[in-house]
Amino acid sequence: MHSSNRSGGGVLALINPIKAISPACPLEEVAEEFFKPEYAKVLSLPVVENGLPVGVISRYRFMDIYLKRYARELHGKRPIRHFINDKPLLVDLDQTLASAAQHVAANMQFPLTEDFIVIRQGQYVGVGFVMDLLKAMERQMQAGTEELEKAYSQLKSSQLALVQSEKMASLGQMVAGVAHEINTPLGYVQNNVAIGQELFSQVQTMIAGYEALVDSLLDERANEEQIAAQMKLVAAMRNDVNVQEMLGEMHGLMADSLYGIGQISELVINLKNFSRKDAAATDMMDLNDCIESALNIGRNVLKNKVEVIKELGALPRISCAPSQLNQVFLNLFTNAAQAMEAQGTLHIKSWHSDDDVHVCVADNGKGIPEEIIARIFDPFFTTKPVGEGTGLGLAITHQIIQQHGGEIRVESRIGEGTHFHIRLPIVSARAAKPALLEATA
Amino acid sequence: MSKPTLLLIDDEERILRSLRMLFFVGYRVHMTTDPHEAIRILREEKIHVVVSDQRMPVMQGSELLRIARETSPATMRILLTGYSDLDASIASVNEGEVFRYLMKPWNAEEVKSVVAEAAAIAEASFAVQSHTETASDVAIAKPRVLIMDHDETTARTVHETLGDRCEIVWASDAQHAMEELAKQDISVVVSDLMLGETNVGYILKTIKQLNPQTQCIVVTTFNDTSRLIDLINQAQITRFLPKPVSKGIFARNLESMLERFHMVRSQPVLQKRQAVAPISDPQEQVQAGNFMGMLGRLRARIGA
Ligand SMILES: Nc1ncnc2c1ncn2[C@@H]1O[C@H](COP(=O)(O)OP(=O)(O)OP(=O)(O)O)[C@@H](O)[C@H]1O
Ligand SMILES: [Mg+2]
Repeated sequence: MHSSNRSGGGVLALINPIKAISPACPLEEVAEEFFKPEYAKVLSLPVVENGLPVGVISRYRFMDIYLKRYARELHGKRPIRHFINDKPLLVDLDQTLASAAQHVAANMQFPLTEDFIVIRQGQYVGVGFVMDLLKAMERQMQAGTEELEKAYSQLKSSQLALVQSEKMASLGQMVAGVAHEINTPLGYVQNNVAIGQELFSQVQTMIAGYEALVDSLLDERANEEQIAAQMKLVAAMRNDVNVQEMLGEMHGLMADSLYGIGQISELVINLKNFSRKDAAATDMMDLNDCIESALNIGRNVLKNKVEVIKELGALPRISCAPSQLNQVFLNLFTNAAQAMEAQGTLHIKSWHSDDDVHVCVADNGKGIPEEIIARIFDPFFTTKPVGEGTGLGLAITHQIIQQHGGEIRVESRIGEGTHFHIRLPIVSARAAKPALLEATA
Repeated sequence: MSKPTLLLIDDEERILRSLRMLFFVGYRVHMTTDPHEAIRILREEKIHVVVSDQRMPVMQGSELLRIARETSPATMRILLTGYSDLDASIASVNEGEVFRYLMKPWNAEEVKSVVAEAAAIAEASFAVQSHTETASDVAIAKPRVLIMDHDETTARTVHETLGDRCEIVWASDAQHAMEELAKQDISVVVSDLMLGETNVGYILKTIKQLNPQTQCIVVTTFNDTSRLIDLINQAQITRFLPKPVSKGIFARNLESMLERFHMVRSQPVLQKRQAVAPISDPQEQVQAGNFMGMLGRLRARIGA
């Protein structure tokens, strides 16, 4: 049976089928188990009763007891039950690698002397090595960033395509904004992975140190000095508080990374929906979804400045070109944000009558002077400084609404705010698809 | 020696947590999402390096770094941003006077080494601050200003502003400019990015190797953000003024650059604060290499 990386199968690949010992097993026999060459890498043996894991006995602890003078004679026949750690590290077979790694990182003891036990519905399945888990996790995180980077470069090129289409006015600014929104999570995800990688190799060295110590403890020929030297080495590593503290912080960083990856995915999906190549393709759409989509993509323009109040009523779907309508709303939202000197509110309402769907976008910005209000829908009419506005936003908006058989109206009061009202027919007036916008120049 | 102290500012806490781990060993780290809090920390603590985001709701990073420059001049300033817009990068040169302009996502090793370099420089700056207050003012030859711009208005303003105190050379082309730079040390360079047909970026990026005291002002109509960011990191230009620039502003900046030159000359630690990063563009590397080669020959011939 093969396992996939995405499901709980990740843990499955880590299982070592080690025969569990019974709590009644006498110490003598446990010693034999530990000395078996095939268990040389095993840090601890699982103790299982009626299929349920009841604890573990680590090689470290076992040797501590068993290598003492007369220990064989004193304890050899006693059951292992009295010596085990009854709170073993448990990982469920169905857990994802990430959550298993988080759980282990949060609960593992220093020095690392025990392996974790894999269970399924409480039943013992096998033993996993912490190092293997960390390595698998590292591999997965790395694959994750590669995927992210791929998505990012795809996104960059699709942004380029967008900028090149002259219909997408004022997009340059927005693209920069979206890139920023992605660079931030990408920044910490990438950094966290780099830190993880470094840390894992440090942990690897530590474990190698412990193993070497155990080896010389088991080696009949090793003399006291050799063992003492190994002990010293291990003690020094144990005292390296940095690694311990960093490991403790690491699961927080893993959670952050997962969050960041989620954020990026969300942005990518949004942008994909928004910038569909077939810009004029029609679909049966709920305009509220277009509004949400535009709010999402314009988040960068609105955030920290605009409080958005939504009163979106349930709407019948209408036949329209969603990416064009997304753009209509983005233009209106951007204008509203730009009309606000400092903080402001954006009020978005939607409702429908028998024949039409209505959307109203109102801001409390600076308003439009009466002498220019008749010209705001003209192509290239702008009051904004060079570089900030092309004056195409409302011209395009107007054209799109007309092509959908609807209308757009504006009311404004200086110092109080501006109110755009869009009406679109539920049954499209035209049978044909909306034509591609012609260049307005 | 005690550990150097870092101050990290970003409105995303996850960036702060992540960076803190990068500097977990070897540094003391302060971090905050609030620029005002950052200013308070700068006032109360000895901070070696401040690393700030640019886009934040309360205050732009370049503005914060400008305040940092006044509050704690010995602190080294680094901008770490995911948003490369022209205004931000211009402000980071002219106001923030940043040591490096770094982009998100960043390379962990690179950021580590940049911060380590900055921390060492800051340590040296603090040491100078507390020991020698006044620097020896050696009398020297007249400062020299090199103009690398065909624009006459540039040349005129330079003459009117500094003509009485400085020797002014107006280079007609790149070859001429390189010869002047080779002949004698230049105090202030005033340059466009294009001299005739030649992109002179590689010359600007080599200047600090010829003479680390030289101060560089770029006056240009070019507004390519990524080229500007390269000039910040690899040439440590001290001013970037987009053309057309008002005469008053230009004159004021010329004055302050001449003053800066005198300061840097009398306090060698200030030279380190303008240490440049290696040239990244392969073509410019070749050009700069050729320039340095030519320079060696020229200086040998002149016997300078
Ligand atoms: N909500 C609003 N409040 C105040 N003025 C507005 C508002 N919406 C539009 N205007 C005015 O109408 C003008 C034209 O708007 P339009 O969206 O067509 O172009 P723009 O916003 O200037 O540039 P662009 O959209 O290309 O960035 C604006 O310059 C502005 O003066
Ligand atoms: Mg607009």
